[in-house]
Amino acid sequence: MQLHTRHVLDRAFTGLGYVATGVMAAALLVLLLPIFIKGAGAFVFRGTVEFRRFQFEHNGRGTRAALQRELALVSTARAPVYAMLDAAEQEIAAAPPARQRELKSALADLRDDMRVLLGPDPGQPAPVLLRGQYGQTRWDRARVKLHEVLFTETWDYSGPSGIGRKVYVPRSEEFEGLSVTSLFPYLEAHVTEMLRPHVTLYWRFLVDDSRDAHFFGGIMPEMLGTFYLTLGAILIAVPLGVLTAVYLTEYAREGMVVRFLRSCMSTLAGVPSIVFGLFGLAFFINTLQVSRSKSVLAGSLTLALLILPTVIRAAEEAIRAVPQAYREAALALGAGTWRTVYSVVLPAALPGILTGIVISMGRAAGETAPIIFTAAVSVGVPLKLWEVFSHPTPALSWNIYNLCTEHEAVDEIRHVQYGMVFVLVGLVLLLNLTAIVLRARIAKKLKA
Amino acid sequence: MTPPQVKRSGLLLSAGAQRRQRVACMLGRGFLFAVASVSAVAVLFIFVYIVRDAVPFFSWERLREFFTSTRWYPSGSPPEFGALAIIYGSAMVTVGAVVVAVPLGIAAAVCLSDVLPFGARQIVKPVIEILAAIPSVAYGFFALVVFAPLLQEHGGRVLAVMVWLLGLPLTALAVLVLSDMLARLLGRHGQKGPQGVFAAMLGCLFIGVLIWLSRRAAAMHIDSGTNALNVALILGIMALPTVVSVSEDALQAAGRELREGSYALGATRAETLLNVIVPAASGGISAAVILGFMRAIGETMVVWMASGNAAQLPQPLYNFFMPVRTLTATIAGDMGEADHVTGSARYHVLFVMALVLLLISFACNSVSEWIIWRRRKRLGV
Repeated sequence: MQLHTRHVLDRAFTGLGYVATGVMAAALLVLLLPIFIKGAGAFVFRGTVEFRRFQFEHNGRGTRAALQRELALVSTARAPVYAMLDAAEQEIAAAPPARQRELKSALADLRDDMRVLLGPDPGQPAPVLLRGQYGQTRWDRARVKLHEVLFTETWDYSGPSGIGRKVYVPRSEEFEGLSVTSLFPYLEAHVTEMLRPHVTLYWRFLVDDSRDAHFFGGIMPEMLGTFYLTLGAILIAVPLGVLTAVYLTEYAREGMVVRFLRSCMSTLAGVPSIVFGLFGLAFFINTLQVSRSKSVLAGSLTLALLILPTVIRAAEEAIRAVPQAYREAALALGAGTWRTVYSVVLPAALPGILTGIVISMGRAAGETAPIIFTAAVSVGVPLKLWEVFSHPTPALSWNIYNLCTEHEAVDEIRHVQYGMVFVLVGLVLLLNLTAIVLRARIAKKLKA
Repeated sequence: MTPPQVKRSGLLLSAGAQRRQRVACMLGRGFLFAVASVSAVAVLFIFVYIVRDAVPFFSWERLREFFTSTRWYPSGSPPEFGALAIIYGSAMVTVGAVVVAVPLGIAAAVCLSDVLPFGARQIVKPVIEILAAIPSVAYGFFALVVFAPLLQEHGGRVLAVMVWLLGLPLTALAVLVLSDMLARLLGRHGQKGPQGVFAAMLGCLFIGVLIWLSRRAAAMHIDSGTNALNVALILGIMALPTVVSVSEDALQAAGRELREGSYALGATRAETLLNVIVPAASGGISAAVILGFMRAIGETMVVWMASGNAAQLPQPLYNFFMPVRTLTATIAGDMGEADHVTGSARYHVLFVMALVLLLISFACNSVSEWIIWRRRKRLGV
């Protein structure tokens, strides 16, 4: 082959490598951007007056005077709407009976949708469900609900393919000839005054209890559950892992036994996470009965097994990186093997071991499959410390799944789902960042 | 541990102290060994307990049904446990993921170990680490909430964009290489003019093909965004870090001497890598492929959330736009209902599935272990 061709081929090959790397980075960006942008929306958003009313009535945040001033403004803005609705009722009573029934049901629908947007009608008894007692707390949701008030959704099957197409019909068409049609332009023009959206920073999303199946409030139970599960897994896995690594590096002689142990560890690392979950159910709960049903303890034990190989591998690497001269010096001073290990080798290896621990913490916090059958429930209150031995808990990872597939109103609480994913991913990234920084410092120290 | 008593007469220990120390040493060693064997015991117990709960399902007819029938009606009366479609679903998304992850991963690994300058490497490595660290449920959330609606509503356009994204770089490379070869064939090599003409012609041809392809892709309609394609892509990205880091290790381990030898013989970097380094590291790279495969087949949350969970064979079999169901998702999804009737066939069949997964991952693991071990032995490390 000619030299020139070979050079071109070489360059092409290099280009291919760059493309692959670029695709990888792009994939990461595409994945993280929506999660970060929309996840931040759980913390910073335009909160309506309903949000502030909820915060005052349930958490005692804000001042009564300010809230009442605002509520007075809001109710004057809303008054014409309710007047128009009442007027419509009388007009319908006077309408020809053939149309009356149809109009009545249309008006009832309209009133329902208005209640979803603005909260219960003034003077009505408060509904039982919390979500009925308040209007839309977020402006972005309020815009969606406003659209639902203004338009009705129908499906148009007239196209040639026979596949339905969504069309929006203005709702005022239903009330043709009644004075209530003027409600819709009024509502559209004055909805800002009725809800008064302000940019709100809601950092308490992290520490508030969830209310009414995550329609209101924050993610405290999940945060706490994830914390307990992760902490438990680390407390179990780290002593086991570090001691195993000590045995493998300092005590054991390479041979059949050690080779067997090592291949067991890599097998354990390769077991699918869902199988860990089944094993936890069959062993820790059904056989050992560490708790009567799912519990944080059973979940932590299962997670500990899952992260054990990672901890062992990291600790082993860190211990092997300790220079042999350290050991020889300690032995020369008359220390036994064990004393050498705990007073010289382990302190020297500590940063490396910590790196491994931090990474496995991230892994334990993010795993879902092992805790489905052993620890996780969908709804729960924050646990007390002594309840971890007997009670199941909600956890970030499980509730992300739960809220975006099994929740009764998946679309209504997108911001909570995004917020949870944001918090979980942020947590794991933070842990990994810590590990990266730790590792960089070790590398620097080794170089020096 | 108390320091041993030193005899006044010399540095020798008393007989008692020596005995005590030996016993303590033995005990300590025994304790450490016991701790170290926890993972071995765990593996053993996992096998025992999965098998123990799978055994009640074992009978000749039931197993034959399990592996040959596609009728999965565990709550019907009589219940039917044909898992062929589910096994096929698992295989399908896993193969899809491998097809995505392996070429990308190996190319990226080669780039990372031999092409990128040191500074760029320091940026790319954390990218890989982060990709590996993101929890699977976050990938699943992305697949379900962001990617699936996108596929469903703008499926054709998404596919067209993918065609362009993949096609453009490949086209550029192919034009470069082919125009050069063409020029050589026609004896006009080294002349800028004719070669540029060839390149332009080829470029137009390839771009035309790309336009045609993307038009066809854009005309496609995807009925459901939660399908095998979605899951395969996401799983591929999840398996990518494994493939990259393991194969990069293998490429690094091939050693400096091989590279220098090859350069000394006048080979270009591409020739060195393709003809010398990659063959030398082929064992490690195949281990990387196997580990990526394992990561994809054992993944639960993404497939549970975004594969559509339809226990049916896709029509036709290679149709990636159909919803599928996998072993892991079936275990996760059905255990909630089966839990109340512990001991029923419905409960035990899930353990059979777990056993299948466990055996597959055990086999893959053993093979990759063996490959790595053989390489070590050959290199004499």
